[in-house]
Amino acid sequence: MFELVNVEKRYMGVHVLKGVDFRIDDGEIVGLVGENGAGKSTLMKVIYGAVQHDAGTLLVDGAPVSFRSPRDAMKRGVGMVYQEQSLIPNLTVMENIFLGFEKPFVRFGAINWKKMAEAARRQLAKVRLDIDPGTITARLTFAQRQLVELAKVLALEERVEGKLVILLDEPTSVLSRDEIELLFSVVRALRHRASFIFVSHRLDEIVALSDRIYVLKDGVVVDVMEAKGADISAIQKKMVGRDINGEYYREDRQAPYDPDRVLLELDHVEIAGQGNDISLTLHAGEVLALVGVEGSGREPILRTIFGMLRPDRGTLRIRGEPVHAFSPAHSVAHGVGYVPRERKVEGIASGMNVFENMTLPQMRNYSHAGVLDIRAERDLAREWIGKLSIKVPSEYADCGNLSGGNQQKVVLAKWRSSGSEIILLDHPTRGLDIGAKEDVYAMIRDMSAHGVGIILVADTLEEAIGLSHTIAVIKDGEIKKWFSCQPKAKPSLYDLIQYMV
Amino acid sequence: MLLLVGMRDINFLSPENLINLAADVVPLLIMAVGMTFVIYIGGIDLSSQSVANMSTVLATIALPTFGVGAGILVIAAGLVAGTVSGVVTTRLKVPSFISTLAVGGIALSVGQYASGQQALHMDTAQRQHAFGWMTGQVAGVPVSLILALAIVALAWFIQTRMMPGRIFKALGAGEPVVVASGIRAERYRILAFALSGMFAALAGLMFSVRLSGGSPTLAEGFLLPAIVAVLVGGTPLTGGVGGVLNTLIGTMIVAVVRASMLYFNIPATGQQIFFGVVLIIAIATTIDRSKMRVVK
Amino acid sequence: MNRFLATDALRKWVPLLVLVGLCLFFTALNPNFLSLRNFARIAISSSPALMVAIGVTFVILMGSIDLSMEGTVAVCAVVFALILNALGGTIAGRGWVALPAALLVGAALGAINGIVHVKLRIPSFMASLSLGFVGIGLSLLITGGDRILIDDPPFRSLLTVRVEGFPLMAYAALACLLVAWFIQDHTTVGRNFYAVGGGEDLARASGLNVGRLRIIGFVLAGVFYALGAIFAVARLGIAETETGRNFMFMSITSVVVGGTALRGGEGGVWNTLVGVLIVNVIGNGMVVIGLADYFQDGVLGLLVIAAVYLSTDRRSLSFVK
Repeated sequence: MFELVNVEKRYMGVHVLKGVDFRIDDGEIVGLVGENGAGKSTLMKVIYGAVQHDAGTLLVDGAPVSFRSPRDAMKRGVGMVYQEQSLIPNLTVMENIFLGFEKPFVRFGAINWKKMAEAARRQLAKVRLDIDPGTITARLTFAQRQLVELAKVLALEERVEGKLVILLDEPTSVLSRDEIELLFSVVRALRHRASFIFVSHRLDEIVALSDRIYVLKDGVVVDVMEAKGADISAIQKKMVGRDINGEYYREDRQAPYDPDRVLLELDHVEIAGQGNDISLTLHAGEVLALVGVEGSGREPILRTIFGMLRPDRGTLRIRGEPVHAFSPAHSVAHGVGYVPRERKVEGIASGMNVFENMTLPQMRNYSHAGVLDIRAERDLAREWIGKLSIKVPSEYADCGNLSGGNQQKVVLAKWRSSGSEIILLDHPTRGLDIGAKEDVYAMIRDMSAHGVGIILVADTLEEAIGLSHTIAVIKDGEIKKWFSCQPKAKPSLYDLIQYMV
Repeated sequence: MLLLVGMRDINFLSPENLINLAADVVPLLIMAVGMTFVIYIGGIDLSSQSVANMSTVLATIALPTFGVGAGILVIAAGLVAGTVSGVVTTRLKVPSFISTLAVGGIALSVGQYASGQQALHMDTAQRQHAFGWMTGQVAGVPVSLILALAIVALAWFIQTRMMPGRIFKALGAGEPVVVASGIRAERYRILAFALSGMFAALAGLMFSVRLSGGSPTLAEGFLLPAIVAVLVGGTPLTGGVGGVLNTLIGTMIVAVVRASMLYFNIPATGQQIFFGVVLIIAIATTIDRSKMRVVK
Repeated sequence: MNRFLATDALRKWVPLLVLVGLCLFFTALNPNFLSLRNFARIAISSSPALMVAIGVTFVILMGSIDLSMEGTVAVCAVVFALILNALGGTIAGRGWVALPAALLVGAALGAINGIVHVKLRIPSFMASLSLGFVGIGLSLLITGGDRILIDDPPFRSLLTVRVEGFPLMAYAALACLLVAWFIQDHTTVGRNFYAVGGGEDLARASGLNVGRLRIIGFVLAGVFYALGAIFAVARLGIAETETGRNFMFMSITSVVVGGTALRGGEGGVWNTLVGVLIVNVIGNGMVVIGLADYFQDGVLGLLVIAAVYLSTDRRSLSFVK
């Protein structure tokens, strides 16, 4: 039995886990669900030792333990099957299974490959995988690698006392129907060897596989239920279940967009390698939200519009002009601006000051024959520092040292000041505190009022509903449903969720 | 250091001595300034020495035919070598220390081929005619020193006041943000390498004019002090901060250290050990480890 | 699936095909190329180069790089010669001590290199480049720029005694290659080099001590540089700072041309053997067909660019979802 009692965790002042109690019995399969940001991944990291909790207790069979590293956790029988797989591609399957535990196979300094292969075969048999343990891992299919990963964790069995606890993080996200069935039957068959914690966005699978389900929201376990007879929509409501506050998203300032001015058009576009068919239209002053679960294909659409990906088929038109040259340089030159999710990597150049950041995409307007007009740049920066009330000592401040909210303001000012008419917002409020979020919402309304067209991939569903004029629900790369999102007549979370999962 | 030696011998600090000291390092300074651009964007150029070698040979060979034009020819050759390094690094995605090593090998071959593997000499009259102005003095200051300072000023202007310089800085801060700002980042990375090649060729040209000749090994021993000058000056290997003026200071430090060692009768071999160790210390103290996820 | 496995297998053999192609090419231009005497000549020039290249192979397998070989080879050669001459001048007598001493010096220099790289967290190419300069300076300091002559028939027998037309040196190098292959394929350390090269984060997550492995890799490299130094001295009968010359460019080129990927985790010492032979066949062949040897650096430069380009353009080893 593995237990967490009143576990707390804070990251840089943010309270991520607020007194979580969690228990898993031997041979049990427990589902863990929650929205992005509910604290799921932090909870898992605490369980498998990648992160240390601040308060509370971890108990293995009633005895308190502390994990300083994943290896510590493994020594107590807790193993993780990673979503982004942790096998080393250029090694053989058996080497991966016993990586870091080669000692039993070494005699006089040499590895006894036969002995290791036999041992590996025993592990692979547990997951019913019939492959040569000497195969190079990169040659396996994704599903096979997943099973190898499981076998690697199961190999702990022979090294630890007591039963194993195995975490499965989104194990089904890239598997086919048949492969999922196979995985589930393997997991069920292994119950006498281990208990499982199963994390997934797909609630139907959670209900189908688990015995009990933990629902996590805002760092708190809001419900624990028996999986048998559980209602998916009820779980979904428990996961989100927050009132949408119109005032918070400045709904009073949502003005109708201009249906006659089309800024951007995707005409039966097939995003690179996705085999889908996306058509959408963005008008001046419109906020169009792309909604879907993680990995549903929202970001590739943004990246295609910004020219970072070349579509396999179809036409993309900016202000009626078809685009042929796909590059960010081309998109920027045609008035597209991109506020990336990875603010510190793609948004802000740390080490550069405010005006240097702001003029980065528009230096041509601030230079003569390549010589920069620094005075004009500074004027511009001062103007926008005032307009957006960016909190900086001066325009010479290093943007790397600003708070997240102020960095985001600089990024927005960078595109606004360069006259971008189409702005792509990828998780624009990620990691911001409430005040900074409200500032961003207000800026989005300002931009709409100025006729800017915005495509939004929001941090939460509420945010998407609150801010947008139009919502496109995306699942498996395709647009499944369109919603009009007028003030006072906005769709509910549940309306959207139906089409998302 | 300067003062330390100065205390031992007051003549060391005399203006003439200091000017001579500075004039001695002119080729090194120019090479280091060029290399600064590449390190500033987070790369490295290991071809500078070979490019300079090549250009001493080419300058000597071209002098009788082209006169002053030999200078332009040589600089163009350096530009080409640097551009090749840049293209190989960015388009073919070969790490810069390998691509510049390879281009250095090619430049060395060209130098050896052109020279027939021997030291060449410039005809004194021709040299005087074409590049005599370089070796003269104005008010007691060597023209080469003035020229070098003018080049540093130009490089500094490019770095701080011109678009490419600004983009170099952003590239040093991180390439993704440059691409996401709609800038064709590759072009500017190639430009940095091209500038480095050009400056290396210029360094070779000035060196060959001063020594009145060329050979494929003339500039041997320049690479280490040039890298040291950039890094000790305060442009870290990860790029983004520092720059041309830092390299000016770095070169001065190198010059003073060299002169002092000479003064204290420390053999030239000791210099190499000393600079090697200094280089490690300089890298270790200036490198921005937040930019390196794993150190390979 | 089958098709890509086929092209994959084909790619694996490309370096060897290139080697065979080069031999045919040079033979066609000058039949003298294909003679035992000429092959013995290639073997002699390859032996020291092979040792140095094997050394750096271990480092490159981990995704790091070592540019210190010129300095390390120079120091090892000079130390070896000095000890040999000081202890009677022959390895048949007390002079044999020089052999392990040279290997120890190589290991020590490698250890310094690895420790500076790992503990100070400096990229390996720069740490090793700097230490390479230090090594060259050190060897100059020891010799004062002079050459040390080795006139010890038992030692020079590595070059002078021939079995089946090839000098002893070639067999000794082959034996060292087998040892390197054993380390690479049959020891935990060797396999863990591949793990680090294949995915450093993942290796660390599996509990491998990556820093220690890196240092071990550099120490191994140092030992093989020392072997290279010993062969180089045996070949010329001279130890000096110049003994280390050109080894950096040549060995890196050999490793890369042989098909070991610079990003690590792919290739190995057999690839390096092929790479060393390619480089030396080119060098030898150009002389045989009457081209001046100063083209060699240029050709190698082009070769290394092509090889790195082809290996990076290759289907990525990382998982594609």
